[in-house]
Amino acid sequence: MALISVEHLVFAYESDGPAILDGLSFEIEAGERLAILGGNGSGKSTLAQWIAGWLPRGTHKAAAGSVLVQGRPWSEVPVRERTELVQFVGQLPMQQLSGFAFTVWDEVVFGPGNLALPAEEVRRRAEEVIAICHLDHLRDRDPFSLSGGEQQRLSIAAALAMKPQALVLDEPTGNFDPESRDALLTQMAGLPRDLTTIWCDVALLPPMALATRFLLLDEGRIVLDGDAATLLAHPRTREIFGLPAVAEAALQLREQGLLPAEGPLPATLEQALPLFGGLAVEGHR
Amino acid sequence: MIPTAALELQQVSFSYVEGTPVLRDIGFSVASGEVVALVGRNGAGKSTLLRLLNGLLRPADGRVLIDGADISERKVSDIARVIGTVFQAPEQQIFNVSVRAELAFGPSQLPLSSEEREARVEEAMRRCGLGGCLDQHPLDLDQATRRFVAIGSVLATQPRILLLDEAQRGLDRDRRELLLRIVNQERAAGNAVILVCHDMEFVAAVADRVLGLADGRLLVDAQVGTFFADAAAARSVSVEQPQITALAQALGLATALKPGDLVDQFSPGRGSGGAAKDT
Repeated sequence: MALISVEHLVFAYESDGPAILDGLSFEIEAGERLAILGGNGSGKSTLAQWIAGWLPRGTHKAAAGSVLVQGRPWSEVPVRERTELVQFVGQLPMQQLSGFAFTVWDEVVFGPGNLALPAEEVRRRAEEVIAICHLDHLRDRDPFSLSGGEQQRLSIAAALAMKPQALVLDEPTGNFDPESRDALLTQMAGLPRDLTTIWCDVALLPPMALATRFLLLDEGRIVLDGDAATLLAHPRTREIFGLPAVAEAALQLREQGLLPAEGPLPATLEQALPLFGGLAVEGHR
Repeated sequence: MIPTAALELQQVSFSYVEGTPVLRDIGFSVASGEVVALVGRNGAGKSTLLRLLNGLLRPADGRVLIDGADISERKVSDIARVIGTVFQAPEQQIFNVSVRAELAFGPSQLPLSSEEREARVEEAMRRCGLGGCLDQHPLDLDQATRRFVAIGSVLATQPRILLLDEAQRGLDRDRRELLLRIVNQERAAGNAVILVCHDMEFVAAVADRVLGLADGRLLVDAQVGTFFADAAAARSVSVEQPQITALAQALGLATALKPGDLVDQFSPGRGSGGAAKDT
């Protein structure tokens, strides 16, 4: 059984408003590294909140369809069980700090501390996620005194301390410098293999370093479900995001007949070098 | 005659906690019609520097000058007539219940006729692509549209110096191009733009000049092509060269800032080297 099943989901924030999600169906298997990509207003943050069980809430209702977690609708899953199924880290880490913690350590133990676990288990989990998220040197710091990147790492650590089966991240590297971004990618690559990760973004390159499956969301619909090469080759990818610069250059050279029309487009410098290097040697060096 | 700089910093230092300076001895000037990117790692002091420019913070030492005049005694509201700031999170500056009211707030604080105020709202709406959501609550909009509400509310005051703090963050291609267009319009109108930005592809596309901060000091002040051509300079302020610049360098080609700069060097009739625009 799939960990998450999205079935014919149609959703609008207001009953007479436009459908933000317009008939989505797909499954997420345990252990998958999935990226959900889309332009501004495409519905990806809304979808992320559905997957995490944060929607619907209050007066919101799905106009049609549902999201099932291990075969059950979120509404039938008790709160405690929810926290151990899927954790969500949003765009603004400051907004999800508990506000009850005066140190990084207290923030990390806040969640598992509310699960009535033995104190030793809470401590063991906190130590583990502090190591994974490289927070050891910050453990006595006030969470609100940390930089944005450090707060983001703390939010992820606090989510991981709940030992969820899946982690949903909404634009986790948006405000990072290269060093912080690489630290997060290293941290993500080191997460347990059986942890399902769902990375939502409007940028292509950071999630491409981690994800193996990509959903392209366009006006509330899925227009692509495939790997990185398929994503780069899809015409909407160029229109929505703009291609990575090396891919854009390769595509322009293809259009001029200077590069072969076949084969995957490069996304990184490492992938681009052999392709362009051959061209430089053959034609113009 | 050398024109007076729109903005000038002279030996500016600042600390949040006494004895641990966040910025030390910062000096630079920005001319009218110039677009300057402020770069450096998280915590380098970029956002603090913006707050010294708009008067929300005051230097411990040194001076900030607008049109040659020291602003240390001027009220924040007076400075805001000249310097407009778009903060990182739109939620930090949006407080009206509709997009229209948000755009109208700035002009309502200025000595303008009602027709002029109306025209300012209309122009900001048009420039920021907000025509379809004037009556919506700004916080009901998606993040990117909120960002343009914040940008529009600042543009409606017609500042001569525009400060943008990570305004490109989380924008898709269409919205990045819209932001690029707005910055280019400001430059063409003779206004100065200072943008804090982690995205070097965007810096390469929009900026004339780069100021690089590290450990609270101004380490780099260079034209954008010169800055990115020097991998060591970029590394010294913890930023990456744009992908296309690094590729052109690895291939031994002339400096490229945009894909077209590299493509041109391979196109028939163009030899390698010397073809790319260096600024």
